[in-house]
Amino acid sequence: MAIEMFRGFEFKRRDTLIHRLDPRTKLIMSLSILVSSLIFDKIIPLLLVFLISFALISISKSVTEWYKSIKGLSVLFLIILIVNSFAYSLSFAIAMCIRLVNFVTAFSLFFLTTHPDDLAHALISLRIPFEIAFAFSMATRYVPTLAREAQIIAEAQMSRGLELQKGGFLQRVRNLIPLIVPLVICSIKRALSVAESLESRCFGAVKKRTYLHELKFGLWDFLMSFAFLGLVIWSAVTTFLVGYPRVFTLELPI
Amino acid sequence: MIEVVDVWYRYPEGSVALRGVSLQIERGEFIAIMGENGAGKTTLIKHFNGLLKPQRGEVFVDGINTKESSIAELSKKVGVVFQNPDHQLFSSTVEEEIMFSLNNLNIDADEARRRMEWVLKLLDLERYRKRSPFSLSGGEKKRLALATILCMKPKVLVLDEPTMGQDFEQKMKLAELLQNLVRKGTTVVVVTHDVEFAAMYFPRVVLMARGRIIADGVPEDVLTNDEILRRASLIPPQATKIAWEVSRELEDFPRKIIRVKELYEAVISLVR
Amino acid sequence: MAIIEIRNLTFTYAGSDEPAIRDISLNIEEGEFVLIMGRSGCGKTTLCRCLNGLIPHFYRGEMKGDVIINGLNTRKHTVAEIAQIVGMVFQEPENQLVTMSVEKELAFGPENLGIPPDEIRERVERVIKLMNLENIRDRAPYELSGGEQQKVAIASVLTLEPKILVLDEPTSSLDPASATKILEIIANLNRLYGITVVLIEHRPELVMRYVTKIIIMDKGRIIMEGNPREVFSHGTFEELGIEAPVPVRLFHMLRKRGLGKMNIVPITEDEATRLILGLVG
Ligand SMILES: Nc1ncnc2c1ncn2[C@@H]1O[C@H](COP(=O)(O)OP(=O)(O)OP(=O)(O)O)[C@@H](O)[C@H]1O
Ligand SMILES: Nc1ncnc2c1ncn2[C@@H]1O[C@H](COP(=O)(O)OP(=O)(O)OP(=O)(O)O)[C@@H](O)[C@H]1O
Ligand SMILES: [Mg+2]
Ligand SMILES: [Mg+2]
Repeated sequence: MAIEMFRGFEFKRRDTLIHRLDPRTKLIMSLSILVSSLIFDKIIPLLLVFLISFALISISKSVTEWYKSIKGLSVLFLIILIVNSFAYSLSFAIAMCIRLVNFVTAFSLFFLTTHPDDLAHALISLRIPFEIAFAFSMATRYVPTLAREAQIIAEAQMSRGLELQKGGFLQRVRNLIPLIVPLVICSIKRALSVAESLESRCFGAVKKRTYLHELKFGLWDFLMSFAFLGLVIWSAVTTFLVGYPRVFTLELPI
Repeated sequence: MIEVVDVWYRYPEGSVALRGVSLQIERGEFIAIMGENGAGKTTLIKHFNGLLKPQRGEVFVDGINTKESSIAELSKKVGVVFQNPDHQLFSSTVEEEIMFSLNNLNIDADEARRRMEWVLKLLDLERYRKRSPFSLSGGEKKRLALATILCMKPKVLVLDEPTMGQDFEQKMKLAELLQNLVRKGTTVVVVTHDVEFAAMYFPRVVLMARGRIIADGVPEDVLTNDEILRRASLIPPQATKIAWEVSRELEDFPRKIIRVKELYEAVISLVR
Repeated sequence: MAIIEIRNLTFTYAGSDEPAIRDISLNIEEGEFVLIMGRSGCGKTTLCRCLNGLIPHFYRGEMKGDVIINGLNTRKHTVAEIAQIVGMVFQEPENQLVTMSVEKELAFGPENLGIPPDEIRERVERVIKLMNLENIRDRAPYELSGGEQQKVAIASVLTLEPKILVLDEPTSSLDPASATKILEIIANLNRLYGITVVLIEHRPELVMRYVTKIIIMDKGRIIMEGNPREVFSHGTFEELGIEAPVPVRLFHMLRKRGLGKMNIVPITEDEATRLILGLVG
């Protein structure tokens, strides 16, 4: 299940308007959704933000993947809903759920449509050192590999009679040792072998690295960036300065 | 012993890995499964101990339908040794590593002790018993991984690519060991890309391509059928290639040769 | 002048009491195709790591002696400098593909060197054509088969335009057909472009016809070195964990039997065929 959830954040190559945007634009869009969802705390404006971000997910043809990650978090939604409706009100609980949905959507929007190499590139153009940015893109590159390795390890140990679901809580935790130890060891070995191959391809040889593809900020990038920066400003202004319009404060009767 | 009946399997988000595979394996057989990368060999053997359950069709192990049994139960009958020993070694000593498998069996301490000694001796690991599994060499780790399965005394032993990264000497020792097990009644199934190894030791070879079994028989037939080998992305054993070349000039030179020894004998008999 | 010159090289990994390679001296000329053979653990991989400076720069330990690559002493130059002369290809393709598309993978090395984008583009296009990667240039590593992955791994060091390729069991996880394809590519790079090749391979019969020099190692030492026919005229070396090609084994079986006045060891299937026809025909 955990692996399924990550699928919702794994880059899928598609040719859509969103996919073609500059990674920096997508970073701005996703951050804007995050920030404005944090600022708003009522159902209606949060729903508005949701509709906007969902529209983007639809344009990028990634609804299935997005749905998977939402589904993966369904337990969390339930907890938030129950806790908050007891502590505060049902309306607040629902608002918080929508906020979480918006967070997930913002992440999905970015990771589903941004090539991991472009992610690194975007970070570098924001003046983050190449080594750190590269570490990020490597991490995304090797998530599926690691997931597959974990699966193989589990199968190998089950073939020796290990029953993961057996015993009480403590026993179940102990059952994980035969999985975690090989996974850690294999990951270290893999990291070493990747490092060896990076070294052999001149990684970090010169201070000023060049790039085959330079990032280009196009018309759509400007439009989108302005629109989403506008969203953040508008949400801040309505919340902190002028106050919500009436419709925004509508709540459920309970 | 193992009966695979028209099995289909498709990985979630993947293509169809098995497309109607049927296979009968009798007690005490020694079988090599070969075929191109992605043919479905690993997927097939994962059905033998219930790690995967067929989406269509049936797999019977010793008469039991794998759908009606657990992996833990099935793995007592069918021991699967995976390709990379690093995927299963985790204990602090070789003895503990073997004990982990034995503890999953519910046998008494005396019997466990006996089996441990037996398997350490069989696989020539006695002098390493107190060593950490991680300090062993590649070949030794592979033997230890085999030991952790053999100690469960499975009726069927399945090995995925056991010869990978092994040198000639290690391969021969492994083959000898497997042949001994077979002689004592264990059924042994080996997945391998090593044509020479398969030709040398196995009385039965199964070829797979694109999720199907495309040939099944004695290596003298299977490994000398050019058209089928090509479909399975295999190349014939060297001895076979030489025999074919020779027989183009000499009509009566045998064409179904797969081992160097047979090639030698054929040459000798003609020289006389 | 030899393009690879090794003088009295001994290396002990940090934390290990015994040297992994001992007192190795070796010359390899430009354009040679060298095959290293020997039992598991005899030091083949360690020797390869010495060829591009991974030893002593990446792997810690005690190194005695010198390795001179195209005039550069590996002690005095970084791995990045030597990597432009020696391209390394490893066993596991998965660990060598660090970006998410074939094109970017090929560009990765030159980018690291700060080469201008125009020239990178040129090199990438050249290698894509050379290695026949046009139809997979946009794919991610996990969308490639094992054989394609290894092809891309080779291509990705070719953009550094090395004079030497060192390959450590590049085909070990591949089926025979894919392995043959990879080894043929390597042989072509050697024959058509004069790239010096140093190869560790457990299926030597697939390349034997191209090999100009065999090196047999045991316990960290080179115990036999020379042209394949010369080396295999001494025996099949089973006791050293080596699987000699069938023609060689057949030759020695026949010779033991006292057959004929055979002097030249067949190393390819064609040669074995001719030998047999000569004997019986
Ligand atoms: N965990 C998985 N998820 C999705 N697809 C998979 C998975 N494992 C295997 N496959 C796919 O199923 C098919 C059969 O794979 P399998 O591993 O059985 O092949 P194989 O014959 O063992 O190949 P190899 O010789 O490379 O080991 C392949 O197309 C592979 O990509
Ligand atoms: N990173 C390392 N640290 C310590 N010792 C090592 C390391 N790598 C290899 N060794 C040791 O050095 C020796 C030579 O190993 P090497 O890997 O060079 O052998 P090899 O001939 O490549 O074997 P194989 O055919 O199994 O790949 C072995 O005894 C091995 O255990
Ligand atoms: Mg497999
Ligand atoms: Mg090695």
